[in-house]
Amino acid sequence: MSSETMLEVDSLVRSFGGLVAVDKVSFKVGKGQVLGFIGPNGAGKTTTMRILATLDLPDAGDARIGGVSIVDYPEKARRLTGFMPDYAGVYVSTTVAEYLDFFARSYGIQGAARKKSVEGIIEFMGIGDLRDRQVESLSKGLQQRVALGRAIVHDPQLLILDEPAANLDPRARIEFRTLIRELAADGKTVLLSSHILTELSEICDQVAVIEKGRLLATGTVQDILRGLRRHRILSLRLVSRNENIERFLFEQPGVLKVHDAGDSGRYQFEFEGDDPAQTALLQRLISAGFPVLEFSAHDAGLEDLFMKITEGRVQ
Amino acid sequence: MILRAPEPGVNGRLDRLSDLLSPIVVKEVRQMVRGREFNYSFSLSIIAGLIVAFVAITYATTGTGDSGARIFAALMACLSLVGLVVAPLGAFNALRNERMERTLDLVTVTTLSPLRIVIGKLTAQAVKLATLFAALAPFVGMSFLLGGIDFPTILYSLASLFLWSLWACAAALFLSCISKSRAVSALIFGAMILFLFFLLGASGMGVYMIRSFAPGPRGFGPGLGTPFTRGAGSLLWSFASMVLVCGVTMVNLILLAENRLLLPTEDRSTALRIGFFAQFLLIIGMAVYPALTLPSYPVYQFASALGGLGGLHLAAVALFSVTEELDLSRRIRQQNRTAGWRRYLAIFRPGGAWGAIYVLAQMALFLVVGAIFLDTNTANYTWLVAICAYICFFTGLPAWAGRMMAKRHFKPFHLRAGVLLLVPVMALLPDFLVYLATGDYGGLYSSRHVLDPFRTISAWRDLTTAPFHFLSFGLGVIGVATYLMVIRMGQRAWMPQEPTNDTAH
Repeated sequence: MSSETMLEVDSLVRSFGGLVAVDKVSFKVGKGQVLGFIGPNGAGKTTTMRILATLDLPDAGDARIGGVSIVDYPEKARRLTGFMPDYAGVYVSTTVAEYLDFFARSYGIQGAARKKSVEGIIEFMGIGDLRDRQVESLSKGLQQRVALGRAIVHDPQLLILDEPAANLDPRARIEFRTLIRELAADGKTVLLSSHILTELSEICDQVAVIEKGRLLATGTVQDILRGLRRHRILSLRLVSRNENIERFLFEQPGVLKVHDAGDSGRYQFEFEGDDPAQTALLQRLISAGFPVLEFSAHDAGLEDLFMKITEGRVQ
Repeated sequence: MILRAPEPGVNGRLDRLSDLLSPIVVKEVRQMVRGREFNYSFSLSIIAGLIVAFVAITYATTGTGDSGARIFAALMACLSLVGLVVAPLGAFNALRNERMERTLDLVTVTTLSPLRIVIGKLTAQAVKLATLFAALAPFVGMSFLLGGIDFPTILYSLASLFLWSLWACAAALFLSCISKSRAVSALIFGAMILFLFFLLGASGMGVYMIRSFAPGPRGFGPGLGTPFTRGAGSLLWSFASMVLVCGVTMVNLILLAENRLLLPTEDRSTALRIGFFAQFLLIIGMAVYPALTLPSYPVYQFASALGGLGGLHLAAVALFSVTEELDLSRRIRQQNRTAGWRRYLAIFRPGGAWGAIYVLAQMALFLVVGAIFLDTNTANYTWLVAICAYICFFTGLPAWAGRMMAKRHFKPFHLRAGVLLLVPVMALLPDFLVYLATGDYGGLYSSRHVLDPFRTISAWRDLTTAPFHFLSFGLGVIGVATYLMVIRMGQRAWMPQEPTNDTAH
């Protein structure tokens, strides 16, 4: 394992009766990286996260957090991990400061260190005004903030966040995203799941796609897309519609399919080739006298990737 | 970063002192003082105390000099309501809410172990009880001043009530861990309320307060005596024996609750088995003590005490130990590594059918103790043997057969359900078949009733059952054989497995 690897998941398997919820899932996450765990409902995300948080035991396989096995040394692994499940988990008749204080005590932080830790979290999360408010009376967004504060109160190296942005309004989501990026910048490794793919694409350094318990792909969105299809989608815009362009494009090496986008002079075509081949194609278009206004590669997003990967590949 | 300066003075010192306490206690007490339940209990206790004090004053002016006893009885009734009903229900709710709101998961991923969580919850209830007891302390003091009751009696009575209240809280904590389902939990909660009120009514405490104002003699003492107190007049000895019984059973309730809260990554069966073994020794002690100290103690009473309590204990232990998982995860195996002095605890370990060995060892002890005090040719002794025989048969047979039929599909839960189902089926089926065949249900004991453990054991000393004794022992032999086969299966599962390609990788 490289010294920069914070989380290494190795062939995790977990079954419930006849249902294999997690099937030989393996991936790695480096220190300070944010990995988005994506997949449809029932894909095995939460089960994997619960295993990593030592709330469940795998039937086979292991995972190491900072080199510590979650199977052999769950107590040590817990000290390195902050877990935030998909529910806030608040107590009645407890203020924000008391709530954080309780979890700091539960992690064995005592005396001045505990005070410092709780005050530091309150400051970092920007919830100073709420310290004496009852946690249960806060909005969902603020409860999520407090819950994130709880997960990092013992300064863990790895954060496991299960659907942290669920049920949040757009403003709360943006604020939450900023907090996570700040934590990553602070060297914390973050593993988070979400159904909001646009959300993940903005936070995550890499993604892991899981469906029916099987990990389908890991890496950056672009890397995975490149691995999935050897051809790229190119967009071309001419000053006006040109009847010869389609025939010209078909004659070029690497061009697979051309879509006419209508009267506006826009065309999309699938192209198999690398960057120099793409440059050469542009040069040939200009040399041939086509009045090119725009020429660009279509930037596929996480949603494209998700749809591409999870469309029934695993039965 | 702007930090708040540490609080100076008493608050700061108290805060630092609170580091010595369990975080659960700190949290629970904080929540408690803001909660309605505690405030209502506290206010009602004070009001009840004031009413009793008002009545006491009227007695003091016109009374006979023993009104203190009646006042104390009334206060004990109030405290019993708080200690045996309100506090246990509070304990039940505290842990149930933690499970329902799923905050328990958040706590268990910290460094707090389930044992510390349960003890913390119980300690919080002890703090609550102590506060409520303290609220009534001035009124209790008044009952002493009014006469009719001595100070040691007051002290022992309060201490006994406090201990049994804690015991009830520990039982409530265990009950709250039984199911995660809201419906089942609500059902248990309702049943608990009914049971506690029934207990209170059956023990006469409910009407005690009213009756206490009527003239007449009153007797006090720690009550809830144990067989240890038989023949020993000392109040202190009586209290000490009660503390022992209460303490051992309470520890086992705590360990049971802990086991229910454990994550799959943990196994604390060893501690639980040691706790239950201590309880078994206590049962033996309770049976043996009067036989040793009282020369005219009837042997059948000794056999009844040992067979009744010991048999129930063995049946419960066998139900859970023999049906346990034979093979354990790598993590649990690692936890139970045999190194140093721990190797001597092997018999208390989970997995590898050690549970069956544990039960057989206790049965052997049970029969050896019986043989020391009873003639082995008498019905009293063979009764003890029959109890063991039935336990072996009804727990061993389903555990072995279930594993033989479908090892992968039968989990401990299924095997336990099988045991619990087999007993009534075996007890009722022969009579039912006879009724179907002949249309007549004779009701007289006959050979077919040998399969009914309750009927056979309860009628063991009757001559009518004597001809069929050998059948009961036959069932016992089958039971022991199935135990041995389970042990063989367990030891095989426990053996280190040759690495396959997957595991080697």
